[in-house]
Amino acid sequence: MALRNDRAVQAARDIELREIDDGYTLVGGPEESVTQQHDTDRIPEVDVDQEMLSDTGDDPESWLMYGGNYEQHRATTADTITPENVGDLELEYELSVGTGSSMEGTPIVVPGDPPVMYQTNGPNHMKAIDPREGEVLWSYTYAPPIGVELCCDDNNRGAAVLGDTVYMTTLDSGVVALDRYTGEEVWHTSTADHTEGYSATWAPVIRDGTLYTGSAGGEYGVLGFVAALDAESGEIQWQTDTLPEDEWVGASREHGCGTTWMTPTIDEDREVLYTAVANPGPDFDGTVRPGPNFPTCGTISLDLESGEFQWGFQSSPHDVWDYDSVAPRVLVRDVEVEGDSMDIVAGSDKTGWVYMMDAESGQLHERSQEICQHINMWEMIPHISQDERTPFVPGAPGGNDWQPPSYNPATGLVYVVHQNYPQDLYWRYEEFDQGNPYWGGGLDDPASEFPDEWNGAITAFAAVDPATGERVWRDWIESEDDLYMWGGSLSTATGLVFNGTQNGNLVAYDGESGERLWEHGFDVPISASPMSWYDPGEEKQYVAVQVGGSGWLRQGPRGDTLAVFSMGN
Amino acid sequence: MVEYTIPDATSADHRDLATTLGVDAPESGDVTWDLLAGQVQPRGDSAFGSRGEAIRTDLAGRLDRDVLERERETIANEIGRLPAVRDVGVPDGPDGPYTTVAEPGWRLYDHLLEVGFFESLDENLPRFAADQIETTTRELILADPLSSALDDVGFDEAEKTALLTAVANNDERLARWVPSNQIPEGVEFETETVPPLHQRAMGGTLLWIRGLDRHLWQNEVMITDEILDDAVGYVKAMLGGLFVSATAACDLAGDGRFTDEQLTAAFTAGAAVQIVSQEDLLHDVFYITDDMRAPSELR
Repeated sequence: MALRNDRAVQAARDIELREIDDGYTLVGGPEESVTQQHDTDRIPEVDVDQEMLSDTGDDPESWLMYGGNYEQHRATTADTITPENVGDLELEYELSVGTGSSMEGTPIVVPGDPPVMYQTNGPNHMKAIDPREGEVLWSYTYAPPIGVELCCDDNNRGAAVLGDTVYMTTLDSGVVALDRYTGEEVWHTSTADHTEGYSATWAPVIRDGTLYTGSAGGEYGVLGFVAALDAESGEIQWQTDTLPEDEWVGASREHGCGTTWMTPTIDEDREVLYTAVANPGPDFDGTVRPGPNFPTCGTISLDLESGEFQWGFQSSPHDVWDYDSVAPRVLVRDVEVEGDSMDIVAGSDKTGWVYMMDAESGQLHERSQEICQHINMWEMIPHISQDERTPFVPGAPGGNDWQPPSYNPATGLVYVVHQNYPQDLYWRYEEFDQGNPYWGGGLDDPASEFPDEWNGAITAFAAVDPATGERVWRDWIESEDDLYMWGGSLSTATGLVFNGTQNGNLVAYDGESGERLWEHGFDVPISASPMSWYDPGEEKQYVAVQVGGSGWLRQGPRGDTLAVFSMGN
Repeated sequence: MVEYTIPDATSADHRDLATTLGVDAPESGDVTWDLLAGQVQPRGDSAFGSRGEAIRTDLAGRLDRDVLERERETIANEIGRLPAVRDVGVPDGPDGPYTTVAEPGWRLYDHLLEVGFFESLDENLPRFAADQIETTTRELILADPLSSALDDVGFDEAEKTALLTAVANNDERLARWVPSNQIPEGVEFETETVPPLHQRAMGGTLLWIRGLDRHLWQNEVMITDEILDDAVGYVKAMLGGLFVSATAACDLAGDGRFTDEQLTAAFTAGAAVQIVSQEDLLHDVFYITDDMRAPSELR
């Protein structure tokens, strides 16, 4: 099944990610979306119903949503691979997906004979794959319209599934529904006007027939929102702006941003969702948007049915550092705290800490010990001189950027990726001169001078106890080319934690101790988050990860590999 | 009940203030409002007076004296209540004592917003600059009605002087806050949605004060007595700035005891104090580093 004859792959290759003054745009590509069918008959009929979705976190044979379950634990109950035998884990195959643009996604797997994997990557390309054979069953490329504005890359991080349909967000701030047996379009809904700077890059999540999605465009002066769509029709059921009117001065809210650009976390018990809220706008000049800019750079909880606001918590109020909260929130239930039990929403943020919030109220239970270093943090306010440069850590990528943490029920720990690299913010203090911009400011990456206190490691991968905030262990990761580590982790029921590094290594850690137990090297960075499933037909546990450089800053060489590892019983 | 005061200006602040005004600092280093009032001279800046006159003309008949005087008095009451607010410690919910403290300020703000007060100030006052800040400080010191009004609501000499240093010593910081009608075309975001400068100063002040309930309650595990002291101190400073603006607005709507120069100075200084104090509050109360936080009781 040669991908050179795959029109959908060719269409994706034809879409060029072009750098423009304030980010990227897409040029070329198809006028209409393209589906290429291969062996679609191989896809078994399986009705993915609500029960399957609710139980997927406990089902070793499925991985039905981006975060592995509604709580976004990114944990599999498959237990074939253990700390004792992981050293024998072998590469089953590498599949070239044929279009090596952004590779930040996590595939999903619908159980069956064979199971079916739905895998996405930039720009808005999806495949149905037989993961036993590593063969493509159909391919699809969405036709992005002219004028899409992207701050960072042409990312797509994954799919959602319900019944006979599979879904992904589209870069023009939409959601497309595809027949999961044929790859043909069922509907497309736009949630906002992409010409205003809105876009979408994350995987949506579905619960009770409703698809939940967010908003991106926080560098373009948009107004952030969360939207709920009818999964069958695509009709928007509600759309809630993230910024309450009474929390902003005058019209500053209209371009106040506060986007929600990763997958929401679903709390089925409370019937609410939790999502991270990104930076306020404009990014660097807080004088035009005074006050805390609630709830930007924080976490919000919304009612699933109505979208009504429940609570919000900020980790960087009135932010001027681009410390947007992004990474999916992790819901950890029944955490034992001094004899009591509580549900905790863990938010791992760019500020370099993990915030454990009471799921009920949003009150901080505890903030973790620092994950990355904190050097000159929050010190450059007020900004008074264009000559004043203060290198600071964490820089604008954090801390924890979008990389999803995992929670390992076997260890009771949350695993987080934090960057640890000095940057400079500079401010052009300009005399008033009609017609000339004066808000200007920007970011130097790396900083012009590195602070003495910096330890030289660009990334920290760490385990945190959600009950106490203790940093149980931390693996400092260096990069010769100063690349950021750009993917999240996977936990297993046997106490393992997998993560891919910017150095191209997929690493299996002992989740308890942080010891590296196994590694596999690729020749390009890993910028995606691995996942796993068990196939009873093959009696094997699989681990899959996309491989290739991606991201906003110093992404490293591109790749187009889907790597699948396996171990038999 | 313990008196909690706005954070003291340092000796260096005092020296800078004296230098700015061309006054010899006493050997003790303590510069006070009273001391300065006996030494500084007005600058005789005709533009300063004409700006005040323009504001007077522009807002004639638009301000409701009863509303302004009523809310000015309730703001004064809230300033007086701050020690009790401090004694509460960490609020027990997101709508606690700080929300109450901000309420009269919001009512005043709403009235000023309704009558176009903020637009008028943007129209008639210049961008913050060193000369304007110095003149403002001089006029402020010489404005007896303002000085006595601050005395009446519980600002002691050190606190009044701290308000002066907030204005006089921060011209570069303040210069970053630009009137909305002076933002040039072609900046990197839409300027039509930027509220007038004085609205941002006052609205920001009130959002920060109200936001303290939520912030302190949510982050209780990290809150120290020092953070609580600073919170109340900066609230007092911000309300002091707001009170200065309110007093000038009342004068504008009523007796007219202020000279045109003093009117310009009071509005400029009121906004300046609110701006500087909200930035300091952010730094010392909202941005909680590991060095500042209360030790964890869980690890």
